[in-house]
Amino acid sequence: MATGGGQQPRPTRPSSFSRASSSSFSPTSSSSSSTSLPPGVRIGANGAAFVSSGIPDLDRILGGGFLVGSVVMVMEDADAPHHLLLLRNFMSQGIVHGQSVLFAGPMMEPRSFLGTLPAPVVQKEGLKLKHDTSDVQDKERGLRIAWQYKKYFGEQTAVDSHNRDKKQEFSSDFDLRKTLERQLLNSQNIECISTQDTFDLPKLLNHCLTFVSKLSMKDGVNSNAGRIAIQSLCAPQCGYFEKDWDMLSFIRSLRAMVRSSNAVAVITFPASVLSNSISKRWQHLADTLLSVRAIPDKDLAKLLTGYQDMLGFLHVHKVAQFNSQVPVILDASTYSLKLQKRKSLVLERLNQAPVEGSSGVSYATSGSCSSSKGSVLDF
Amino acid sequence: MAEGLIVRSLRDGSLPGEHAPALCLQDSLLSPASHPIFRHLLTSLLSQSKSTRVVLVAFHRSPSFYLSLLDPASAPRIRILDCYSDPLAWNPQSHSHSSLLTLLTNVNDLTNLLSSILHLAQDLGSPGNGPVAVAIDSVTHMLRHAPLPSVLQLLSNLRSHDKILSLFWLIHTDLHEPKVISSFEYISTMVASLEPIVQLPDYANTNSPSITSLDENYSKAKFNVRLKRRNGRVKLLCEELLIEQGSVKFSSVPSVSSMVAQNLIPKVQFNLQLSDKERMDRANVVLPFEHQGNGQNIEIYDGRRSLTESQKDPTSTKIGGLSEQKRSNNNNSEKGEIHYLRDSDDEQPDSDEDPDDDLDI
Repeated sequence: MATGGGQQPRPTRPSSFSRASSSSFSPTSSSSSSTSLPPGVRIGANGAAFVSSGIPDLDRILGGGFLVGSVVMVMEDADAPHHLLLLRNFMSQGIVHGQSVLFAGPMMEPRSFLGTLPAPVVQKEGLKLKHDTSDVQDKERGLRIAWQYKKYFGEQTAVDSHNRDKKQEFSSDFDLRKTLERQLLNSQNIECISTQDTFDLPKLLNHCLTFVSKLSMKDGVNSNAGRIAIQSLCAPQCGYFEKDWDMLSFIRSLRAMVRSSNAVAVITFPASVLSNSISKRWQHLADTLLSVRAIPDKDLAKLLTGYQDMLGFLHVHKVAQFNSQVPVILDASTYSLKLQKRKSLVLERLNQAPVEGSSGVSYATSGSCSSSKGSVLDF
Repeated sequence: MAEGLIVRSLRDGSLPGEHAPALCLQDSLLSPASHPIFRHLLTSLLSQSKSTRVVLVAFHRSPSFYLSLLDPASAPRIRILDCYSDPLAWNPQSHSHSSLLTLLTNVNDLTNLLSSILHLAQDLGSPGNGPVAVAIDSVTHMLRHAPLPSVLQLLSNLRSHDKILSLFWLIHTDLHEPKVISSFEYISTMVASLEPIVQLPDYANTNSPSITSLDENYSKAKFNVRLKRRNGRVKLLCEELLIEQGSVKFSSVPSVSSMVAQNLIPKVQFNLQLSDKERMDRANVVLPFEHQGNGQNIEIYDGRRSLTESQKDPTSTKIGGLSEQKRSNNNNSEKGEIHYLRDSDDEQPDSDEDPDDDLDI
């Protein structure tokens, strides 16, 4: 099947990274052409280009990462700051790969947000291998492995480390306890804008336009991918709060701009401060839609295993798909955000405690003390 | 406990690097008892600690009403911005009566309001004292005079100012659209809402409470508090309160929370935890596929031979026998055993019969 332009005449051309689908059939050609791609971009199914979201689990869930040219929206929870975790990982991944980053946030000093970006986990080669074998020995002590299968253990670690090397280039694990080095933050291609107080939407749109046009201006060498991160676009502190239709026009223009360029835009917004109809329109404009939700204390402790480590829930509503008619169907749409060893962010599927079959207790109900928005968990 | 938490948080102020804590106190027509709670919070803030200073922005009640509530000893620690007497400058001769009051006559202009509040805060906090708490009597009244975005900006500017210790305000939920209420919840760190104890009567249902008992809602209510924590967890607290003669009493309601918990905890059919004895037994079981390391011939017990046969055969490693020999001295532990009989032994091998022939149709 030819690239998606066969359906309806679209004035925008797809991003320069995506290939015609014929090349995606042969796996060898995609691996050899990977050297000509800029760092951090990978060609996935149907010839579409992906950049990593900064969280390896999220890349896996979304089928490869964020599509280049798509707009990702994250619906915030008014009670919890988890959307900042997603934004930070997204921006760090871009900086580590040397991509251009544009950040806009409703704060007086957006540069201070850069100071909170996590650094990638550093693993030296020798240490890594040693760690693997000791890991295996630990596993051996914990599990009682049948003796016939012990000979396979040595082989498995070698395969694992090879795969890990390849993956390391595309998406890195971030250590949330360490911040990114100063010299990386001072590079030329990181821009910060404050959307507070008297800031205007046309100004923001102009900033994005210049950012995106800078991306494709480099001739000869393949131009780099760019990342646009906008935090809390409709927050009450912003100068344009309550101008609902202006904000919708902005998002529509941004979407068109991003689609015809090598950029990915991530926008977070608190959906509760918008009226229902406007919120629905925002959600509809997203290519990929995620939402984060806080966990009400102690309510769900008995229902879920591993509750203590959980920070919050991530719900995947919509996954973007380019060059294909086949929708992405997920195994599960709700994942729990956890901090592994206090440093890296992992997403896990929810495991519910065993239940008595006859009672038929429904887990979708939340406690009577919580607010009117009930949490619906989809296992 | 909820009330203590709130007052402590308002008194302590913000952690370094964060904005000031803000409490949003909500009520509705069904349980309109929020003003006594507002007054209670104000008086506890002033009386519990000698160093807390408060700037009160009064829209709803006259400043003299508030001054009469307060202990005269704590009067110098409060400044009242009088937006009640003449908010729209209709009376050209109005002027403030006491040094504690500042009359504001143009409530529409929120930048002026902000600068007046900050001016008063600096006045109060100027002799080397710390930041000042701000109480706003009814944001609902503010929203009458000024649009929502400017009110929200005023509150968030107050929160981020370093002269402000903490902030709390009152809002009536049924006088505004839901998104207005949720915008205020968004910029606050604590949300306290009142719910009626007695529900509205349902006229179709004869068992529901009569309309005269609705009076109880004016003196009793359920006090729900939602606290936003730094780690993203939300703390929910539920208490009951009783208002009598101008004083408010909080009491915790353990029964409700346990009922809620019971509904949510599934009734588990089997016990997933092992008792100590069971744990020891499990550790003592010798699994058939483990390498015994005795140098003897390893034969996997696949269930074809009965246990007695393998006992007679000395070359094979029998599970039960070996472990019995090893543990004959140890009388304390009871070893666990695995008894496995293959199901296929019961069947006739390669039977030509069609098992469906047994059915009599």
